[in-house]
Amino acid sequence: MAITIIKDFCKGCGFCIANCPKKVYEVSNEMSKKGYRLPSPVRVEDCIECGLCDLHCPDFAIVVEKTKKKEKGKAKGKEAR
Amino acid sequence: MPSGVKPGRYFVQGDEAIAEGAIAAGCRFFAGYPITPSSEASETMARRLPEVGGVCLQMEDELASIHSVGGAAVGGLKAMTISSGPGISLKLEGLGWGIKNEIPYVVVDIQRAGPSNGVATRVGQGDLYTVRYGSAGGNHCTIALSPKSTQEAFDLTIECFNFSEIFRCPVFLLSDETVGHTRELLVIPEESELKVVKRIKPTVSPEQFVMYPLDTPGVINHPFPNIGEGYGICVSPYTHTSKGYASTAQEIQEKMAKRLVYKVTENLDKLLRVEKQKMEDAEFAVVAYGGNARPAIAAMEMARERGMRVGFFRPIIVWPFPDGEVLKVAEKVKAILVCELNIDGQLVREVARAAKGKAKVYHLGSGGVEPHLPAQIFSEVRRLYK
Amino acid sequence: MSAAGQTLKLLHPLVEKYLRKERMPHMACSGCGIGQVVHSTLLAIDDLGLTPQDTVWVQGVGCSSRITYSTWVGDNVDAHHGRIFAVATGLKMARPDMNFILFTGDGDCGAIGGNHFIHACRRNLDVTAILFNNGIYGMTGGQVAPTSPVGAVTTTTPYGNIEDPFDMCQMAVAAGASYVARWRSTDFKPLVASIKKGIQTKGLAFIEVLLQCPTNFGRYVLKTSSPLEVVKWIKEHSVTQKEAEKLSKDDLAGKYLLGEFVHRPERRGIVERYQELLKQHQKE
Repeated sequence: MAITIIKDFCKGCGFCIANCPKKVYEVSNEMSKKGYRLPSPVRVEDCIECGLCDLHCPDFAIVVEKTKKKEKGKAKGKEAR
Repeated sequence: MPSGVKPGRYFVQGDEAIAEGAIAAGCRFFAGYPITPSSEASETMARRLPEVGGVCLQMEDELASIHSVGGAAVGGLKAMTISSGPGISLKLEGLGWGIKNEIPYVVVDIQRAGPSNGVATRVGQGDLYTVRYGSAGGNHCTIALSPKSTQEAFDLTIECFNFSEIFRCPVFLLSDETVGHTRELLVIPEESELKVVKRIKPTVSPEQFVMYPLDTPGVINHPFPNIGEGYGICVSPYTHTSKGYASTAQEIQEKMAKRLVYKVTENLDKLLRVEKQKMEDAEFAVVAYGGNARPAIAAMEMARERGMRVGFFRPIIVWPFPDGEVLKVAEKVKAILVCELNIDGQLVREVARAAKGKAKVYHLGSGGVEPHLPAQIFSEVRRLYK
Repeated sequence: MSAAGQTLKLLHPLVEKYLRKERMPHMACSGCGIGQVVHSTLLAIDDLGLTPQDTVWVQGVGCSSRITYSTWVGDNVDAHHGRIFAVATGLKMARPDMNFILFTGDGDCGAIGGNHFIHACRRNLDVTAILFNNGIYGMTGGQVAPTSPVGAVTTTTPYGNIEDPFDMCQMAVAAGASYVARWRSTDFKPLVASIKKGIQTKGLAFIEVLLQCPTNFGRYVLKTSSPLEVVKWIKEHSVTQKEAEKLSKDDLAGKYLLGEFVHRPERRGIVERYQELLKQHQKE
């Protein structure tokens, strides 16, 4: 399973970092060409593939390649917020 | 869908003739807001358009009318709206959308005495400059035709639709209350005798097609694909690239402005329509247009009866203004009397400009309400004639 | 193992399928909710099987429109400010067979476009309109909107807004729209469901989305530079209709009601009625 940050689209808003229920992301030291601080999925092994980072990203900058079944219940609880 | 052409001889108002002309031209969408003295045309469209499968809507205001007309044209229909001076003023921003995106449709102005609400039921001729220069930002050339009679109202409405498709732009029928409300003979010919230009569609693939030909500013007969035809069209009120993507680049603005101007100015030969009577040996010319034309012709005849060498000249296509033809007149005669129904002087300014000082240009202006009487014009001709 | 920041060649599947690659990334500010609403819209379109061949995106003027314009891979029709519903009337009456999704904003729909909005609802024009309500005029630099909360400091209300905000959903209900709902940009599941329901409902579907504008609403009204703070403010100031039943009038003051307000697909709209008119009066 892979999480890809599309660097040219990311605008460093931080929604993926704030909304990930498993705290997979952190702000990295890497800057995009436009000067945004990019997030990095540093704990990708904790990823439950809920897809919230993908949904919350306003810029279509996150692609989560899903390999395992979604854990029911957890994702639902977060989405209804 | 039925063609809508009803050949025959009719006794109708100019307003009704305009509606019949539109239907004969293939107009299948009409949106308007009631405004005197144009309402009879809207009422005729309301009755006739459903008969031919068209859509006729009375919209909530003038702006909704012109914008829905633009939308319908982008949607694939030939479309028209109609109003009078105050309503045309309201429509000007919407007109810009049609101009900018090269959308074909027809706007009819039944001019009335102004300014402001003026006299709703009576004639004026104060919108000549409005239709040419009223829409924000300049950088375009208007096409406007003006009928002098009910028959011409029918004929020229069809021409307006044709020009709108050929030049891919909104075209004005600049009429007035005199023509709009005069009831006289209209002859509608057989459909086969009418020349109607169909919407031109692309023959190349969407990848190859150029929606807005900014790099070839002078082209006409450029195709106009509509929504749902697979061309992924982009229509925007902002300055945009050939594809329709909004742009702030100076280069694009320059190209776009040139495209909108040159497509008319480089094809003036196709937009020349004037009427001349007894100009061959004229020393003096009377100039008028629209509902004021026939009083001027009558005055010219009165002058001729008294041995004065007076001729008559009328622009039928008022925009682009027939500079060359007016110059020819000015070079021939000693003086020109421009008779129009406004005091500020609009037609006279154009004539004076185009005359380049070759002849004296005089103004017989009136505030409107009535067209000039032939005697009024003749009296002025006699005073000035030397 | 993760592969953070791979090559440009990998694109989000929705972008791949529905958006013009050369127009991406779209020009929304960092943290703006518009992209989230577009995401929900594309999920709805995808779920329903709508295509670029049968669906047109229609815009007005303002962030809602300038950001979404010319991103859809099908036809995009961007109208003058406030005239989106009028243009859509012409488009839909010319092509009643096509789907139209309208993106409009506070000013475009509620101020300059108010009249056309009301009449489109009255006519129950068969389109789906999504109102991007960020409580401010974003594109022009942060002026007050008809939807700005009372007291909001904006560039044209430096002493605080003294006008009450406009409840556009209630206006849509009163004027006759077939389907009216309000959600937040982060209510992905119900928002996608509403957009789908709206597209499938005959008549005008009006879906208002409360979304964060960090650049103008955040800065001027909330005095924050954090998009998350604006999202939080929206959450604190919105309640579902069920929750609202338990609250006092005072507690409800200044809060947005969420959820569906009306669903009346039986109310025939102008498209249907006009077809009937033609059946009766069209000759041949």
